[in-house]
Amino acid sequence: MSVGARTYPAETAPEVRPGATVSRLKRWLGPDWRLGFLFVAPIVVLVLALVAYPFCYAIYLSMTRKFVGMPPEFVGLENYIRLASDGFFQRAVWNSVIFTFGSVIFKLVLGMAMALVLTSKIRFRNLFTGILLIPWVAPTVVSALNFLWIYDGSLGVLNYVLVKVLGILPQGVGWLSEAGTAMAAVIFVNIWRGFPFFGISFLAGIKAIPGELYEAAAVDGANAFQRFVHVTLPGLRTIVIIVVLLSTIWTFNDFAIVYILTKGGPGGATMVLPVFTYELAFGAQRLGDAIAVALYMLPPLAIVIIVLARYMRRGHAR
Amino acid sequence: MSKTALVRLQTALAYGVLSFLLVLVLFPFYWMTITSFKNEDQMRSLDSMFWPSPFVLDNYVQLLTKTDFTAWFGNSVVVAVSSTLVATAIGTIGAYALARLRFRGRAFMSSAVLITYLVPPAILFIPLYAQIRALGLSDSLAGLIAAYPSFTVPFVTWLLMGYFESIPVELEEAAMIDGATRFGAFHRVILPLAGPGVLAAALYAFTQAWNEFLYALVFITNVKLRTLPVGLSGFITGDVYGWGYLMAGAVLTTLPVIAVYIYLQKYMVEGLTAGSVKG
Repeated sequence: MSVGARTYPAETAPEVRPGATVSRLKRWLGPDWRLGFLFVAPIVVLVLALVAYPFCYAIYLSMTRKFVGMPPEFVGLENYIRLASDGFFQRAVWNSVIFTFGSVIFKLVLGMAMALVLTSKIRFRNLFTGILLIPWVAPTVVSALNFLWIYDGSLGVLNYVLVKVLGILPQGVGWLSEAGTAMAAVIFVNIWRGFPFFGISFLAGIKAIPGELYEAAAVDGANAFQRFVHVTLPGLRTIVIIVVLLSTIWTFNDFAIVYILTKGGPGGATMVLPVFTYELAFGAQRLGDAIAVALYMLPPLAIVIIVLARYMRRGHAR
Repeated sequence: MSKTALVRLQTALAYGVLSFLLVLVLFPFYWMTITSFKNEDQMRSLDSMFWPSPFVLDNYVQLLTKTDFTAWFGNSVVVAVSSTLVATAIGTIGAYALARLRFRGRAFMSSAVLITYLVPPAILFIPLYAQIRALGLSDSLAGLIAAYPSFTVPFVTWLLMGYFESIPVELEEAAMIDGATRFGAFHRVILPLAGPGVLAAALYAFTQAWNEFLYALVFITNVKLRTLPVGLSGFITGDVYGWGYLMAGAVLTTLPVIAVYIYLQKYMVEGLTAGSVKG
């Protein structure tokens, strides 16, 4: 059943009788309109108050010069124009792109590995599935703090292992304080937290692929790799698209990991757009600029959201 | 290569990758836990890195007596529980209506819910803050309780729409033929069946609210009113990073979520995938 594609009973021949208008109105509203409207009303109120209204207000604020505690002054598109040539903004855009794609690609690879391992013939599959999902349910802030401690330049365990245990490095590295490693370090944490979601989704997708397809491929002499390429991957196509798009949105907007690990430093090396927005708004107190930055993120996000919503609706309709 | 050797190789490879993933996933939690039982001297001297020696509870004592941790814990419980109750109530009836009832505007609202679920907080947090402030709710837990449904309700609704759609429509029709009203069919037939799904959705909403960081960071300035994630992250702004009690706090913040997760792992794993990847 497709949401929205439901057909209503064809209108019967108009009869002249009292109440005909009422019944036509009823038909227009749908047979269950009373309970329907009642049940949906709280969501409507909520979406209007907490999403639609703030969103419209944001568009207005982005066209003002606004400082906290002062009345906004309308300046049109000035904020947007100034930002377009602002070096810090351009750098934040670029950093966000690297952060997002770097994270999503590795999450895809690790998630696929996780799903394949969990569908192969190993013991305690359910237990391992549960364990591997823990980074996804644990509080992001806790994970970020854990890694802040692991990465610590002088007392951190990562340097300890690399220098003292394995002897790979002559001396410790300030993973988060050096421009060359900071971005990779924050990306790693995002991958660590996010790949289990890829894994669990792919796992569900693989389980839904009919076993006969694999048997048929095996009969035709396909080896494990060929079965993966010709049966598993095509069967996972929709799920891969949905998960990658979802993760792109979430990663692009990830605030906690970068904020806690580096606050965008060192020297702006990991300054991604959400942290940049926050710093502009609550550090520099430039609210108008901050919202303009946030709204600059909107067009690419809107495209992703619209494409994704289509895929998700299609999945739901079955 | 013979066929059995190939199968054996594949199994070995699977266990190899599995071991790698397990170490990757579990090490940070292991490290967090043992750090919380080490004393300051041991951390500074880099002795016995991988096991606390001596094994001390000082960090927990310090955390619970010398910091605002217990207040933050209470705040987190209040905010997460209240916003979960709101989200579950609104989301359950809304999802039922959007999944089952026939009325004008249903398709539009289904889309609106999905898009709201996908719009990220990073775009909304400043205007939402302005609104919460205008309502006089900034710097109060009420402000967070009011704001959190902006992400928990669309999420719960979307998750449960899939769940309600999977319950056979014939059950309701049978009840209605037997004289039940539409509401009666929902109340007596569908709700009991949807119990596990509603519970899973509620627990998801709870963990989301429990873990939320950005709104809590922006809306609350009073240190005593912080929630756990913001409170914990506040430990790192000082010059001295008390890693011991910070990690003790991290352990205690993670435990409730892990407890919920272990208890409902089956439902949660199913629910997690049902929301995004059905069909």
